[in-house]
Amino acid sequence: MSQPIKLSIPSDPKYLGLIRKVLQELLTCHNVPDDTARRLILCVDEACANVIKHSYEGPCDEPIEATFTIEGDDFKVQIRDYGKQCKSDQIKPRCLEDIKPGGLGTHFINEIMDEVSYCTDRAKGTLLTMIKKLKTGLASTEDKR
Amino acid sequence: MSIDLKLDKAEDTVTITVTGDIDMSSSTKVRDALAPLFKNNSKVIVVDLAGVSYIDSSGIATLVEGLQWSHSSKNKFRLAALSPGVKDVFEIARLLSVFEVFDTKEQALVE
Repeated sequence: MSQPIKLSIPSDPKYLGLIRKVLQELLTCHNVPDDTARRLILCVDEACANVIKHSYEGPCDEPIEATFTIEGDDFKVQIRDYGKQCKSDQIKPRCLEDIKPGGLGTHFINEIMDEVSYCTDRAKGTLLTMIKKLKTGLASTEDKR
Repeated sequence: MSIDLKLDKAEDTVTITVTGDIDMSSSTKVRDALAPLFKNNSKVIVVDLAGVSYIDSSGIATLVEGLQWSHSSKNKFRLAALSPGVKDVFEIARLLSVFEVFDTKEQALVE
């Protein structure tokens, strides 16, 4: 795939289903196995939900820009927002031993993706970059457990 | 993405059948439907997830809240008919063993 696929949605939870559908179509086009596709879609959904909750904190008309690239074995997704920044070391999953509602989105992303980085080196907002090695697929997720 | 919720009440049980994706836009509806059930006299509350192919962390959080409410109210809170995709999300969250999970709604109501 020489050109990335770009999609911009408003920061409204009702558009999360749209981004999931577009990504499903893209991954189907590239013959990504269903199990892997489901997990990648979960990560993108959680990343966008985190932007809505923590970066924009309420307004539903702010931009969330998603860029999907498949190069060789790498599936790369970048999520750009223009909301509140926080230090990348503050973005961490909570302890799973404590059974309580919430706080699982970052855990899902870190568990499923091979590389995750947050860049706030810009005037506004954050660029989240997530990479998954498609050849290793589910095996690499299992290895992390 | 819409979600449909259906309640079936019997003598000692109540089943809430969810159809659609449970995500940030719909999990509040599930929560609003679940919360009052723990104030009733139903001994067993079953969430039938056969019609749910996608759940995110907000949906999982809603079901964890249900589990906590059940501990306070002494109801049994059971999940039934998890699709492979939904079960996978529970497994990644390491929460599958925390819930009472049944293959079918019927099994959840009987046992």
